[in-house]
Amino acid sequence: MPVGYSIYRDRPSPIHKRIDPRTKMLWLVVLFGVALSFNQPIILGVVAVGLLLVARVAKLTWSDLRAFLLLSLWLLLLSVAIWPAYIHQGSMLFAVGPVAVTGPGLLFGLAMGLRIDIMLIAASIWMMTTSPQLLTAGLLAIGLPYKAGLAMASAIRFIPLMNAERVTIVEAQRARGLDLAHGNPARRAFRAAPVLVPLFSRAFLTAQNLTVAMDARGFGAGKTRTNIIRLDFTPLDRMICALAVIVLIGSVVLRLMGIGGLIGGTG
Amino acid sequence: MKDQGAPVVLQVEDLWFRYPSAERPALRGINLTVQRGETIGIIGSSGAGKSTLCQAIRGIIPHSSPGEVEGRVKAFGVDITSELRVDLGARIGLVLQDPEAQIIGMTVAEDLAFGPENYEVDPAVIAERSLRYLDLVGLHGLLDRDTYALSGGQKQRLAIASALMSEPELLILDEPTSELDPLGKDQLFAVIDRLRQNDDHTVIVVEHEVDRLVRVADRIVVIDNGAILAAGTPLEVFTGPGVYARTAGERLPAAAELIARSTDAGLLINPVATLDLEDAMAQIVLRLETAR
Amino acid sequence: MSETPIIDVADVHFSYGPGLPEVLKGVNLSIQRGEFVAVVGQNGAGKTTLAKHFNGLNKATLGKVKIAGQPVEDQALAVIARTIGYCYQNPDHQIFSSSVVKEVGFGPGNLGYPPDQVNSLVENALKLVGLTALRDAHPFSLGRGQRQLVAVASVLAMDPPVLVIDEPTTGMDRKGSAAIMELLSQWASDGRSIIAITHDMDIVAEYIPRSIVMSGGEIIADGPTQEVFRNQAALTRAHLVAPAAVVVSDRLVSYGVKYARSVDDAVQQVTSICGGRRSHAGRV
Repeated sequence: MPVGYSIYRDRPSPIHKRIDPRTKMLWLVVLFGVALSFNQPIILGVVAVGLLLVARVAKLTWSDLRAFLLLSLWLLLLSVAIWPAYIHQGSMLFAVGPVAVTGPGLLFGLAMGLRIDIMLIAASIWMMTTSPQLLTAGLLAIGLPYKAGLAMASAIRFIPLMNAERVTIVEAQRARGLDLAHGNPARRAFRAAPVLVPLFSRAFLTAQNLTVAMDARGFGAGKTRTNIIRLDFTPLDRMICALAVIVLIGSVVLRLMGIGGLIGGTG
Repeated sequence: MKDQGAPVVLQVEDLWFRYPSAERPALRGINLTVQRGETIGIIGSSGAGKSTLCQAIRGIIPHSSPGEVEGRVKAFGVDITSELRVDLGARIGLVLQDPEAQIIGMTVAEDLAFGPENYEVDPAVIAERSLRYLDLVGLHGLLDRDTYALSGGQKQRLAIASALMSEPELLILDEPTSELDPLGKDQLFAVIDRLRQNDDHTVIVVEHEVDRLVRVADRIVVIDNGAILAAGTPLEVFTGPGVYARTAGERLPAAAELIARSTDAGLLINPVATLDLEDAMAQIVLRLETAR
Repeated sequence: MSETPIIDVADVHFSYGPGLPEVLKGVNLSIQRGEFVAVVGQNGAGKTTLAKHFNGLNKATLGKVKIAGQPVEDQALAVIARTIGYCYQNPDHQIFSSSVVKEVGFGPGNLGYPPDQVNSLVENALKLVGLTALRDAHPFSLGRGQRQLVAVASVLAMDPPVLVIDEPTTGMDRKGSAAIMELLSQWASDGRSIIAITHDMDIVAEYIPRSIVMSGGEIIADGPTQEVFRNQAALTRAHLVAPAAVVVSDRLVSYGVKYARSVDDAVQQVTSICGGRRSHAGRV
């Protein structure tokens, strides 16, 4: 399966085309904040559904999201199964071995699961709707130094390359009898030197040659550089950012007022 | 900034260079003058110093890759060996052997833009140049392609286009086709040929593919053990007595080999020097006819 | 008396996954013990894909592949490695040890041989490639040509009757190319079966007796190099160009020149045809 630079999916949606990457970054942070503010499953559930609607607007398909949705479901079930062991408020519904499962316990587990799901799905939608170039451009626009951005982009650049190299190296060593399929994980890791050493040396060598190429194309020649990507912070972006800030502040306030907390305290 | 008229683009004056931990010098007294618009082919065995020379011409040696250096390289009349001249960087382009290690951008557009962005070129100009150079190297329409999805040959041609984006007057290509299959080699040499037809471009190509090289080179330089063993037109270097010594055992173009071997075997007495295989074979045919 | 071919490929089709286009479209091939064969064609023609069926890395979607009479799919890769040695194009994809000896010993070690046997296999392999003097050297300190030899020795140390070598002369200068091809020829005449995947038509003409031309996932020509390289239709279809030696000998065939393996070979033939007779038009 070919590995690309990112999970970005190019779609003709307003979320892809009309919203600045910085706006999307802010919304990601806000969504994390909202997820952490509440532990009431109904509210979190609504947020999660809202996210799926956003995915719909972004024209992302089921097959795009499938892996993340499945992972989310699995984490949700895990959460529902585990949290009742720690939450004992309310009356017992049934017992599983030594653990008394209560209503609030199940609901809390549901909420915690939804919280993780929201963060996971929000992050994946963010990555699927923002190309790595725009992402980097956005980070640079909010102050990330160019060299850091280039380092980040180069690291991403290496992913498919190193993956292809890894495949070739593994094949070459298997042809020499290397057995990576059997044995416990610890022993298999030990046996991985024949794959890791060539892989790392290829990575170093390629990186070294890449610096020569960057030098040869004038890296660091001037104090500033131009950029073919120009970001446009439109009134729409301003509105959406303002909305984000309101939502975040609102969530925190509501929670402090006691709304949206299944169980008191900061949980 | 560009002195368009200057005829001499490059002057290497008695250049010696030794890598820090090496026993022997990699370059021993290289003297070379390149005129504007020339295409120079450099041949020599592995380790002879060809790559070192390319990097010295670009100024990577000794500034980014230090070592002991004597003598100098003058590009556009300016000594670039004793001091780092960033302003001349845009005027000399360098394309290396490994296609993978030259791709900087995640998309073709991003890769093409890297060079001119560093030199603060206006984005609109970058956009226009991108389309022009993509066409030149035969990658028309691939502006938005992810670079990992390109074939080896396409990556090499992209590397040339990206090097051309800063509009260098001198372009150096270090074994650009060594990792490519025959079709890829043909396509790459076609690009060199197109560059050659534009008088403003001066090109230095290091290659092992001598048959393809002689079709595009105005002059051939043979490097052996860090020094220039021979220099001249392809005809001067590859034909005439002493050709094997002159070319340090490297492959000869087919026609040249045919004539050289035939002369050595006494078949041809006064061969007509040629790099065209048909002409060479015609001489053998003539010899066979007269022997009937 | 028909001997079991060491490699037998029967109507093999291959694609990387269901619904993906076929990369091999019905390949039939039979290689006998001791043959020296070249597989030529452009990148993407399916040469490497086919070769990876020989050592079990690729499993045919349709058709059968047999190694020494045994179907490949029944055998573990480590077992097949005893018969088929596969040497990759870039030695840096294999080399990982701190000394040549350790590197070369990796393969036989994996096959479970006792230490004494491993040592003698290693020494033998080093002798075959001429690297005995460098046995304690660090592989990364060697030049590209020598690292290539270390990689080949690593595969030879498993003493496989068949050696598959991918692009032996890429990026090499003339001396390096000649050196490796001389070694391969030597091993072939010693009885090892050798399959060389390459697009260097000159070395095939000079050193390799049998050629298989691939194009678009099919074998479009298979036979003695001297016949295959004169099959202009096949070469054109595979986007290959006949080497100069063939062009020259074709041109001179009406004068009695037979297939030439190299330009030098052609010249020698012409010399003996002219039999030392002085040309009537000869003058100084």
